[in-house]
Amino acid sequence: MLTLQIILDVWQRHLITMRTIEHLHMFSIALVLSILIGILVGVFIYMRPKTAEPVLNFLNIVETIPDLALIVLLLPILKLGAGPTIAACVLYSILPIARNTYTGLRGVDDQYTYVANAIGLSPRETLFKVRIPMSLPLIAGGIRIALVFCMGIVTLGGLVAAGGLGTVLQNGIQLYQKDAILVAGIWTGILAVFLDGFAGMIEKKLQERYGTW
Amino acid sequence: MVQNMQTKRLFERIDSIKLKGVTKKYDSVYAVKDLDLEIYGGELLILIGPSGSGKTTTLRMINRMIEQDSGSVTINDIDTKDVDPVRLRRNIGYVIQNIGLFPHMTIGENIGLVPKIEGWNKKEIKYKVKELLAFVSLSPDMFMDRYPKQLSGGQQQRVGLARAMAMDPPLFLMDEPFGALDPILRKQLQKEFLKVKSEINRTIVFVTHDIEEALILGDRIAIMDQAELVQVGAPEELIFNPANEMVADIVDNQRKFKHMDTLKVKDLMSQYDDEYTFEASMKSFDAIEEMTKRDLENAFVFDGHELLGQITMVNLMKCRLSDKRIMDVAGPVKVFHPYDSVAFALSELKRSGETLGLVINSKRPVGILVSDEVLLKLI
Amino acid sequence: MVGLDIILNATWDHIILVYTTLLISIIVSIPLAFVSLYSQKLEFIVMKFVNLVQAVPSFAVVAIMVPLIGIGFKPAVVAIMLRALLPIVKNTYIGLKNVDPALIDYAEGVGLSQWHINRYIRLPNAYPAMFAGIKFAGILANSIAVLTAFIGSGGLGEIIFQGLIGYNTSTLLAGAIPAIMLAILIDRTFTILERKVTPGYGHIKG
Repeated sequence: MLTLQIILDVWQRHLITMRTIEHLHMFSIALVLSILIGILVGVFIYMRPKTAEPVLNFLNIVETIPDLALIVLLLPILKLGAGPTIAACVLYSILPIARNTYTGLRGVDDQYTYVANAIGLSPRETLFKVRIPMSLPLIAGGIRIALVFCMGIVTLGGLVAAGGLGTVLQNGIQLYQKDAILVAGIWTGILAVFLDGFAGMIEKKLQERYGTW
Repeated sequence: MVQNMQTKRLFERIDSIKLKGVTKKYDSVYAVKDLDLEIYGGELLILIGPSGSGKTTTLRMINRMIEQDSGSVTINDIDTKDVDPVRLRRNIGYVIQNIGLFPHMTIGENIGLVPKIEGWNKKEIKYKVKELLAFVSLSPDMFMDRYPKQLSGGQQQRVGLARAMAMDPPLFLMDEPFGALDPILRKQLQKEFLKVKSEINRTIVFVTHDIEEALILGDRIAIMDQAELVQVGAPEELIFNPANEMVADIVDNQRKFKHMDTLKVKDLMSQYDDEYTFEASMKSFDAIEEMTKRDLENAFVFDGHELLGQITMVNLMKCRLSDKRIMDVAGPVKVFHPYDSVAFALSELKRSGETLGLVINSKRPVGILVSDEVLLKLI
Repeated sequence: MVGLDIILNATWDHIILVYTTLLISIIVSIPLAFVSLYSQKLEFIVMKFVNLVQAVPSFAVVAIMVPLIGIGFKPAVVAIMLRALLPIVKNTYIGLKNVDPALIDYAEGVGLSQWHINRYIRLPNAYPAMFAGIKFAGILANSIAVLTAFIGSGGLGEIIFQGLIGYNTSTLLAGAIPAIMLAILIDRTFTILERKVTPGYGHIKG
């Protein structure tokens, strides 16, 4: 049974505070990059509809690749450390964000773009003032999926010397320290569920604020 | 008025709009065929006709939402083809039936959108938004920060009009702006719009399929059928000198003009609905909310079965005495009997300057009579 | 260099692990989906659990098996199942639930039993969503099966972890590439299956 004493002991011995900071650090970099690139890709395939199908198909294939295998493929290029892990996060996360951005931009009701056009908004202004804001709930949904992906892959980082909470899990398994595995495993789970719940709240808020009625 | 000159205006006022030999085809079907039409500066020209007659296509070719295949559209002798469509449209106010307020922007942001893009500063925009909301009889403080879905249909329509006026354009294009409203509300807004029209004194091209609306609002009416212009002229001209059977049919389809003298109030009134009934003890503020919810501009105040008067949204918001009871702010109301003659009832309404009267039979409200500008012209 | 026989053996182990788990997951999921259909309380718990576990990183799930069950094939199956169950249950449930109520009314009206309604109306209606869920579960299982090698399940992950120890690129690729190929294979085959059971997408199955 886990007692507070054991938890504190494991926490200190395995430097879990530091590992958590490493973990969240990698996670935030990965997520921010994913959001930027994902939205850019989404807007790009929206503006060049011919590219949409091949791009989404390609991303769909990337999505099926086992996450650890993807990191391993990136190892020779990016070397050990946080690089391959973050790159794998981004590769996985582009799809949900780009797909939702694309669907959102296309899904804006014609009556709004029609009016935007009629009152003299240029296509660019229509994109930024009407289409993108009205797609925010869907984009947020994509980001939430990406967040879960990133959390999962960052945890794998421990296996390729990227640090983070995965390192604690890895050490725990290798040294067969059950307490360490339990504490780190549960803590990682709580962190992920909490962040996902938080993202869900933001998504709901955006839905209320920007959703069509 | 705040005037901002960030972008040079294409035109300050409209001298004339000329459509010459304008043709638009979709596949092999004519949407508009060889149309010649001149719109004079300062007039309200109605485009009317059955659906598919080409009226909306004609309207949209004026601001280049649709490009004609041949022929030319000139505004003050400038060919619209030589003008950037975005610049052109910013000089033209546009109002449509489904209003199209952006749901993610507040009322203030909706109205201030184009001014903001044109680089006005925050103070100027706010001032303009307030001015316009007041102009369309919506209390600025109450509505500026609301979202479109929090407004009734009639209020949204007013905001749509305010948005079109944001850049103070010399020309308005209106595509069935009152089409989605219920009949009483529509007449109400038409009447208000007549006032607005005389105040803003702009050129307006207005599409409708409702001949009554056309006769009430139009300085001139252009009747279209099967992609072609059939007749254009003042309302009286169309009624008394129709160019053909079809025009005669359109302007006279109500038949009521022929039987003016025998018409009774009951023939013209709209059915009364209990949602127009408001309890005397209600607070003004609650009444505004309730009228918004029910999409009403007018309501009648009753104390039990006793009629105390009428309240209007415009007046309620003007006095803003939020905790006063509505019985204290209700105004007088004209009351008629179902068998009163229409001629009598309408001239009564006209004399008192009111838009509508209540029709009462054996102490119960049975209908609402809305003043009818067309009939009045003919009485 | 890794010998071809080692790769083939590991691939075989990998396939066994993935498909055993997938099969068990399907067998467990479908009754769960049906039970959720009849009990609101259970539906709530199942769906909450589904969404919650989906957010937990796979590696954490795999690791926690060690103190709870131990190492080897069995804990690997449980860990993969925990993740693979969820998409199948969720999708099957949604498919079962989205039947036009008028159709059920009609079926009851002509005297079909609950069993018949479920068997001949609800289940076929749920096939497209169900197979989409199974495809997703298969891809997920293939992905986590790489990880479970770390707790002794065998399979392609074992080669990858060997490669990681000495940081040997060709060993790494010898594990990673077959795993990727298996993933694409699962995706392709299940996509075809999914289309076969989707009305209006080629063959219609009643």
